[in-house]
Amino acid sequence: MLELRNINVQFSGRDILKDINETFHPGEIIGLVAPNGTGKSTLMNVIMNYVKPNSGKVVVQEKLFYTSKKDEVKIHQIVSMMPDQSDLYNHLSGREHLNIYCSMWNSDPDLIDKTIADLGMESYVKKKTGTYSLGMRQRLCFAMQIVSNTPIMLMDEVMNGLDPNNVNIISNILLKKKQEGKIIIIASHLLDNLEQIADRIFLFKDGNLINAALVTNGFGKSEISTVRVKGLTNEVSEKLTNAFPRTNVLSLSNGVSLVDVSSFSVEELSQIVVFLHDNKLTDFSFGNVTLNDLYSMYYLKDATEYSNSANIQDLQEEYLRLKQELDIVKKAMTIVARK
Amino acid sequence: MKAYFKFELSQFIKSKKNIAIYVLLLFLACFYALNIAPSYKPIEKVDAKEIEARYLSREAFLSNFTNENRFTGMAGYGLAIYPKWNWLDKSRLDALNDNKLKQYSKFTSEWYIYSNNITYGSEHFFYSPGYYTHGNLYASEDGYYGYLYSASRYQGYAEGKSKLSINVFEERTALQTLQRLLHSYLPMILMICCVFLTVDVVLKDRLNPSLLKGFPISDWKKLIIKGAVSLIGSIGVIVPLSVGLLLIGIRYGFGDFQLPVPIYSYSGEPSYFNKGEFINITMGSYLLENFILLIFCFMFLISLVLLVSMIIKNEFANLLVAAIFIFNEIFYFKRGIGFFYEVENYPTNYVQVGQILSGYRNYIYNSSALNLGNGLTALGMGTGVLLLLIFLISKYKRYKLV
Repeated sequence: MLELRNINVQFSGRDILKDINETFHPGEIIGLVAPNGTGKSTLMNVIMNYVKPNSGKVVVQEKLFYTSKKDEVKIHQIVSMMPDQSDLYNHLSGREHLNIYCSMWNSDPDLIDKTIADLGMESYVKKKTGTYSLGMRQRLCFAMQIVSNTPIMLMDEVMNGLDPNNVNIISNILLKKKQEGKIIIIASHLLDNLEQIADRIFLFKDGNLINAALVTNGFGKSEISTVRVKGLTNEVSEKLTNAFPRTNVLSLSNGVSLVDVSSFSVEELSQIVVFLHDNKLTDFSFGNVTLNDLYSMYYLKDATEYSNSANIQDLQEEYLRLKQELDIVKKAMTIVARK
Repeated sequence: MKAYFKFELSQFIKSKKNIAIYVLLLFLACFYALNIAPSYKPIEKVDAKEIEARYLSREAFLSNFTNENRFTGMAGYGLAIYPKWNWLDKSRLDALNDNKLKQYSKFTSEWYIYSNNITYGSEHFFYSPGYYTHGNLYASEDGYYGYLYSASRYQGYAEGKSKLSINVFEERTALQTLQRLLHSYLPMILMICCVFLTVDVVLKDRLNPSLLKGFPISDWKKLIIKGAVSLIGSIGVIVPLSVGLLLIGIRYGFGDFQLPVPIYSYSGEPSYFNKGEFINITMGSYLLENFILLIFCFMFLISLVLLVSMIIKNEFANLLVAAIFIFNEIFYFKRGIGFFYEVENYPTNYVQVGQILSGYRNYIYNSSALNLGNGLTALGMGTGVLLLLIFLISKYKRYKLV
């Protein structure tokens, strides 16, 4: 188990991480989503103790904290972070890199050949990494972490530079590792992929870590909750909300509008189809809110909402308020437990 | 720890800079063996013609001034001292012509003692011309040291069981060349190599931070392993140097570990009137002592470079601080100051390893304390203090090595 307790990090007076409280459990893949420079890597660096938080604690397996250098070594036996592909030794081969990680973490040497086979690296693993392409280097970095075989794995931009086939291969390995009971924390910009493999996804905003499932209705649900419409004008949008008062419409910066139909019956959905057809809108689909939608509505400034219900900002505030209350309760329980 | 040691050792061996250092040393060793060593001209060379010329001119003097009681002053002095001197020269000459090298050694040893007794402090006699170089204000002192050194050395040859040759007499064999080099600039060259091999051992990790930072091993252990690898690498410079010695050995013979090495030492406290004396030890013992003291110098230097790497994190700072240790003595050294200061307490005084162990540094410092024991103590304690500082810094919670 990995627990973050009241983590606060400030750089030059700016809050990078603000009062982060979260617990990650074995067998979970955690996705971290945010634009560059919003704190994903900082959070991972805090977990690895590369960055000292201004306040707060990282707790590993309920008993280990970064209280001394000795504890740091113990934690690093449990928690590892995927190396950056630019840090590979160009004069060493891929296999030599894997040997280093395997021997440093004293893991099973058979894992090296298995990982090479799983990732399809046989053809180049004996060559020096200086000759590798970006994708090959990225796969090697991933393989190195897999070979270290630590119970908690942190992966920053793991899918960078990979083709769809390799994204798929790595995703499958991650799911296997999840089944082995590992905690895997991934920061990625491949939102579709992350949505498929992650158990929980967190967004960063103003230093806060926000659970994506709580941001909006319809995210992560396996039911029709949203109609995604292309080319919906303001005028038609207004007509739509007038015709269906129970819905709300969110226009994203990419030209797609999301129509919330989470509580609609089949008949009502049929009426929506008729409405869209009558207004000469043929490019639409039914489904739920994707991570891409969430990213657009959360981070792209010109996402404008035409809604007759509570907007996203309200939801966020409500979420943060509830989270703060929960923290207070947790602290109180801790104090009571100590007494 | 074993895995990290293997990793660091592999990094060390594959480092282009380190390979360049070894290749450069190999080149220098070969250049020395093929070019410099053959042109070596010892001050105390074996020169039958010179002995003969000296013998004949003195013999002519003695044959002209046969009645020594009739002459006073310098002529009388000459008549008093030349007979034995000439007898020794004649004996040396005969032994050399008969290839009786043991006998040559015996008479040569006596010749050096007799010559020194007459020459030291004399206004009329001089040591071999090689001591009187431009700007050398202590030529007479050097001559005194050189003559008694040679006397002791030849006595060792006469009493020892080593196979003798002119090359052995002129200290040209491989082991004797090593001995001469250790008495000269070789320790400094080895220490400079040690510094260059160590200079980036910590700081190179900054090039691959994300790969190395998460290793489950403490900074203290990392540093100790890095130091151990540097020490092994520094000892490894023996390999390219031994190629040079091999070449010298093929040409001039290798010598043997039983060859005598004269060590200058004092029976009591040194003073102007109490000169020391030479005692022979075997070449094997001398080289072993050099090796031990060199290892301690390496350990001190490596600890120093590790500490500076941790604090300043700049290769040039490492080079600067290490250079200060190696060359510092040049700035404060004055002949005879050991009589006034406790020079044995400064680790920087033990850089000239060969000169320390041969007693030459004691001779020129006018001290009796610059010896192996004090060297190991000063360097060992210095290393201990540096390691303690490294330990304390590495255990500091907020300190990051990479």
